[in-house]
Amino acid sequence: MSNTSYISRKQELPLKSENTSLFLQIIISIAVFIFAITLSGVLSIDSMISNWNKSILGSITVQIIPVNNTNKEKALAETMAYQEKAVEFLKSVNGVTKVTPLSDEQLDELLSPWLGDDVDISDLPTPRIIDVKISPDANIDFAQLSMDLAQASPQATLDSHKLWLNKLISFADGINLIASTVLLLVAAITSGAIFYTTQMSLGLHHNIIEILHIVGAKDAYIAQQYTKRMGFLGFLGGVIGLFFAVPAIFFIGNLALKIEGGIISDASLGFGDWTIILSLPFFAMFISMLTAYYTVKQTLKKML
Amino acid sequence: MTNNKNIIEMNNVGIRYGQGPEILSDIKLSLPQGSFYFLTGQSGAGKTSLLSLMYLAQKPSRGQISVFDHNLNFTNRDQLASLRRRIGVVFQDFRLLEHLSAYDNVALPLRVGGMDEREIKKRVTELLTWVELDSHMFDKASTLSGGEKQRVAIARAVINRPDLLLADEPTGNVDNIIAGKLMKLFVELNKLGTTVVIATHSDKIINDFKYPRLHLQNRGLHIYYPSDTSMFGGLNV
Repeated sequence: MSNTSYISRKQELPLKSENTSLFLQIIISIAVFIFAITLSGVLSIDSMISNWNKSILGSITVQIIPVNNTNKEKALAETMAYQEKAVEFLKSVNGVTKVTPLSDEQLDELLSPWLGDDVDISDLPTPRIIDVKISPDANIDFAQLSMDLAQASPQATLDSHKLWLNKLISFADGINLIASTVLLLVAAITSGAIFYTTQMSLGLHHNIIEILHIVGAKDAYIAQQYTKRMGFLGFLGGVIGLFFAVPAIFFIGNLALKIEGGIISDASLGFGDWTIILSLPFFAMFISMLTAYYTVKQTLKKML
Repeated sequence: MTNNKNIIEMNNVGIRYGQGPEILSDIKLSLPQGSFYFLTGQSGAGKTSLLSLMYLAQKPSRGQISVFDHNLNFTNRDQLASLRRRIGVVFQDFRLLEHLSAYDNVALPLRVGGMDEREIKKRVTELLTWVELDSHMFDKASTLSGGEKQRVAIARAVINRPDLLLADEPTGNVDNIIAGKLMKLFVELNKLGTTVVIATHSDKIINDFKYPRLHLQNRGLHIYYPSDTSMFGGLNV
C-alpha cells in the first residue's frame, strides 16, 4: 500500500455503502423534478401578471357609445363629433402621450371573430374606440379623468382595464397559491425522507457511534459526516431531477406558446427565473444538509 | 504512587438495567491520580458495568459520580466528550471499527480531537511499530487475528496518552510474551502519571504486579492490598 493511503482518511461511518442512498437519491430527484416544474409555473405566472400589468399600465381605452337615432348618417355624424371632442380633451390631459381613434378597418378586425367576416359593421350601431397611451411616470387619477371626460364628451366612457385584469390577477394568484403549497409539500416530503433515512442510519451504525462517543467525538463530529453525505446525495439527486425537468419545462412552454389569444404566451421565464431553477440542486443540497444535521443532533441527544 | 487529587469519585452509586435489580449497590470509590488497580470479580459481578460508568458510557441509576472534578450531573454533552478524550478504554471484545484499517482505528481518538494528520501519522506509525503491527498497519481490522485486534485496541486506548486508562481483560487474547510487554506498557504509562484500572481474571498478572485490587462481590466493591489478605469492604482508597 502506498504511503499516502492513510493521509486520505476514510470516514468512520460507512455511509457510502448504505442501501438507502439510492432510495434517497431517487426521492430527491423526483422531488426536484416536481419542484422545478411547479416553480417554473409559479415564475411564469408571475411574469405573465407582470407583463399584463406593464401592457395595460401604459394605456387606457375610451369608448364612445353610439348615438341612438333613426337617421343612421346623423347618428354616425353625432357619434364622430363626440369622438372628436373626446380626442381633443384627451390630448390636453397631462401624461397622455398619444391618442389614436381606431379606424373602421381596425374596428372591423376586432369584431370579426364574434360577428363573422360577412357582416358590414357600418350598418350596426357599434361604439367607437380610442386607444390612449400614457407616460409610465404619469400620475393620473382615473376616477377624476373619467368624470372630466364625461363632461367633455357625454357619450365617452373610460376603461382602464383594471376590472378584468384584477379578475385575471386574482385567478393567477390562486394558481400561484396552490403551486406554492405544492412547493412546500415537496420540500417537506424531501426533508421527511432525509429525516427518516438519517434516523435509520443512526440506528444501523449505533455501535460505531458509541465508539466514536467513547473516544471523545462530539455530536458535531458525527453530524458533520452525515451532513457531508446527505449534502452530496441531495446535490446529485437535484442534478438528476433537473436533468429531466429542464426539457419538460421547454416542452410545456412550447405547448403554451401554441395557445392563441396571447394571454398564456405572456408567460415566459427570464434569466433570473432560470437562475433560480438551475440553482435547485444547491437548494436540495442545503435542505439535505440542514435536515441531516438537525436530525443527528436531536437523535444523539438521547444517547449518553 | 498517589497524591491527593482524585480522578474518579463515586458516592452511593447504584446501577440497574430497566426494572431489574441493582447490579451494583452503594458503590463508594475514590481513584487517586497516578494509581494502579486491578478490578476483579466473578463473571456477572458487574466489572464491565463499573468500567462503563468510569468511561462515561452510562449514567448511574442513583448516586453521584465525579470525573476529573466534573460532577456528571452538571456536565453537558460537549464537556462529556472532552472528558472522554482524557480516558483510554480497552474492551474485552476490542470494539474496533471493522471496516477501517488498523492505522485508522488507532488514529481515531487523535482525529476526533482535531490533531494534524502529519502528527497523527508520526504517532500512530510509532505506536503500531511498537506493538509489532507495522506490517499490518493498513490491513482492515476485520482481517486481523484476535491477538492483533487486541493490540490495535490497546494502541487506540493509549495513543492519546490518557489521564485514565481502563482495560477489560486486555491480555486475554495474547500470548505470555505479548501480555508481559503490554503490562509493561501499562506500568510505564502509570509511571508517567496515568491512572490505570485493569479488569482481569488472570491470577498470574495480579501476582506478578503488586497493585491493589478492587474486587466486586455481592453487588458491593471491596478493596484488597497486595500485602494484605484482609478485605476492606466499601472503603475509600
